[in-house]
Amino acid sequence: MFRFNDEVVVADGMCQDLSVDKGSKAESKALGGDRLSTFQKIRTAGIFVLGPLSGLLFICLLPLMSLLIVVTLLSKMASASDVMQSEEAAMCMGCHANQDVVKTFGNKEKLSVRISERHFKDSVHGFLTCTSCHSTVSMDNHPSANYASRRAFAVQISTACKGCHTDEQLMAKPMHRAAISRSNAPPCSDCHGSHSIRKSAGWKEVASTSQYCLTCHKKDLSLSVNGETLSLTIDEKTLRGSVHGSHECSNCHSEYSKTAHPLREFKNKRELSIAFSGVCKGCHTDKYQQHQGSIHTSLLTQGNRKAPVCTDCHGAHAVGPKLLAETLSGTPCRKCHESTFEAYKNSVHGQAKMSGNSQAPICSSCHSAHQVGPALASRSPKATCFGCHEDAAALHKEWLPNADLHLDAIACTACHVPEAEHTVYLRVTDNRSGASINKATLKEYLGPGYDDLTSAKENGLDEKHLWDVYQQLGDKNSAAGLTGTLGLQDCNKSHNLASKKWAVKQCDSCHDANSKFFKTVAMAIIAPDGHEEHYAVNRAVLGSVITLLPINQFYAIGSTRLRFLDILGVLMVFGGMSVPIVHLTLRFLTIPIREAKRLNKLRKEGRR
Amino acid sequence: MKRIYLHPMLVRVCHWINAFSFLVLILTGIQIRYRDVIQVTSFRTAVDIHNIFGFVLLFNFIIWIIYYVVSGKFRTYIPPFSFKGFIAGCIRQARYYGYGIFMGEENPHHSTPDSKFNPMQQIAYLNIMALFIPVQIVTGILLWDVKGFAYWIGLAGGIKVVDSVHVLLYLFFTSFLFVHVYLATLGHTAGEHIKAMFTGYEEVPEHGHSH
Repeated sequence: MFRFNDEVVVADGMCQDLSVDKGSKAESKALGGDRLSTFQKIRTAGIFVLGPLSGLLFICLLPLMSLLIVVTLLSKMASASDVMQSEEAAMCMGCHANQDVVKTFGNKEKLSVRISERHFKDSVHGFLTCTSCHSTVSMDNHPSANYASRRAFAVQISTACKGCHTDEQLMAKPMHRAAISRSNAPPCSDCHGSHSIRKSAGWKEVASTSQYCLTCHKKDLSLSVNGETLSLTIDEKTLRGSVHGSHECSNCHSEYSKTAHPLREFKNKRELSIAFSGVCKGCHTDKYQQHQGSIHTSLLTQGNRKAPVCTDCHGAHAVGPKLLAETLSGTPCRKCHESTFEAYKNSVHGQAKMSGNSQAPICSSCHSAHQVGPALASRSPKATCFGCHEDAAALHKEWLPNADLHLDAIACTACHVPEAEHTVYLRVTDNRSGASINKATLKEYLGPGYDDLTSAKENGLDEKHLWDVYQQLGDKNSAAGLTGTLGLQDCNKSHNLASKKWAVKQCDSCHDANSKFFKTVAMAIIAPDGHEEHYAVNRAVLGSVITLLPINQFYAIGSTRLRFLDILGVLMVFGGMSVPIVHLTLRFLTIPIREAKRLNKLRKEGRR
Repeated sequence: MKRIYLHPMLVRVCHWINAFSFLVLILTGIQIRYRDVIQVTSFRTAVDIHNIFGFVLLFNFIIWIIYYVVSGKFRTYIPPFSFKGFIAGCIRQARYYGYGIFMGEENPHHSTPDSKFNPMQQIAYLNIMALFIPVQIVTGILLWDVKGFAYWIGLAGGIKVVDSVHVLLYLFFTSFLFVHVYLATLGHTAGEHIKAMFTGYEEVPEHGHSH
């Protein structure tokens, strides 16, 4: 049998035969003195007893001795073969034991071709000789092959493995099947190494699951998923540094273990991310359930596969602590909501955050981290902003007449983002609770009228549409009505909150028929996921007598006044003014009549 | 000519406080509602002044009504029980304003402390003092604290309805003011009724004259 021992290779590169056991010689030298004289006594005293006994034994043992001789000869033949292989290996190692032997590839990459005898001996292939794998090399021939790169070399050399490990054998294991059936299959050496391949059975038992997985996955592995390249490489350092650093791979990838590596197929990388994000539920049940109720999950179920799952914000293997997301640069929302983030960055909140104020809000402060939804700033201003600005109502009352009314009907952003365009949002709300009626319920209330409401109109919904809605809601005895709220046209701009010194404080900004705040009106309907669908409404509805009852709650003195009253007012005031003018004129014109009557009277009195 | 004591001191004071408050409320009302047409003061100033004089009007009205009810003078606003006679009186008075006055006829109504108003004035001022002004005050108070009176505003049909009623009466008072002032000049002399509202005494011919 071919064996490398520490002492085998000598300086000149020749291999010594270690069949001569040095230990045995030393033991032989130790025999002498008492033991030798005992043997002589036995020979003298028992020659007559032992002679015939020895002869008998010889006859009996003859066949056994013959067998031993045959076995010994066969053993000698095998030993001769060992000697032959050892010579070959010794010849190879004559050069490859040298640390300075380096192979340079076409792309200038260098590879040390030094072989560690000890590692090879301990490897699972320790019984093979060099040419068993490197079949093109022999003691007589050592062709020099040029490889473009180290990778190309590894790919070429790995084909030798198939000499013993047939495709059929490899295909039986799903992991191998997955690996080798790919066009860009990694060479065997990527996972197993080259000369120090260890027998898996032994270390597999002592290695942790993660160690076992990382054997391959810490290497440069990738997978092609319908043309997309998916990296399967895990940076061990990053993984260990994450909040899940002490977890085993199989804690999350529960179908995978040291003995199981099922093949899973996905349409694309995104589908894989979505599917794997489900594993978080195992530990983070509460957060997962919150996410299920978010606008993001709703978008996912509606078919928007871009909607974020756990890993989009938290990362897959580099799961960071929560605080990581609370910095400006690390805010995961930014990946999708860039324009919103830009608005936030320039806002009083973003500026405070950048200046190091840890209390300054980030996205999740208003939208929540997992049950992500609209901030409701335009629906119930108090719900969002007053969470932090607890004294806001009291501060507004110090200077703003009817402060509570203003805070109910106007979104905080309407005044605190002074440059943005505004819209009056009409929402169908429950008259008792004030909560918005969602789309499904509204459809139920309005029946076919709902489609009419939401179908495209050239000039938007007019007062007749709103009157129909009002009547239909009344017919259903729904206790629902239209509620108007002033908000911002572009929700992105809501994030660009200005310092309060720039906020709109002048009453005249709103309470003027020319106010820019009331130029657009929209019907807002709450979709199941909480976001709003907007349908344009003709702004004339704000000043229409027909909508006096349908939108009787939203009214800004001076700016959304009824046009009918304007006309009536002019008629009444001019009517009032015309009474004295006309009467005076008639009195003036009838002076002659009265004068004549007076003279007649005087004449009559004179006659008397 | 004879002098009759037509307007007691309290009535005169109330009248002029009322008159001034009305003027201020009308002018600030214009500023509150029609800023796109005319801007003399800021909205906030206009609202503040409007609120102050709204309450002045309210307290003035309370004093006035207590005085009129307690003294029994309120009867002068109540038309006679005889509907037929009342209608006939109205027609007679309307005929005077629309014809008789031009022909030099005498005013059919002669003012006395117990009967200051002719039938047309009676019905007009009864509506104004017992209905329009109270409604105007109530709607004004509701608009003064919309949130606080949200329940009542809801009962009334919403803020838009309440404000529309307030504005409608505002327009009526504004237009009526021209008629009221003009009619005040139709006394024995142009300034007679107005002077009486300062002095309390009105000089009337022996047969009496009134607007």
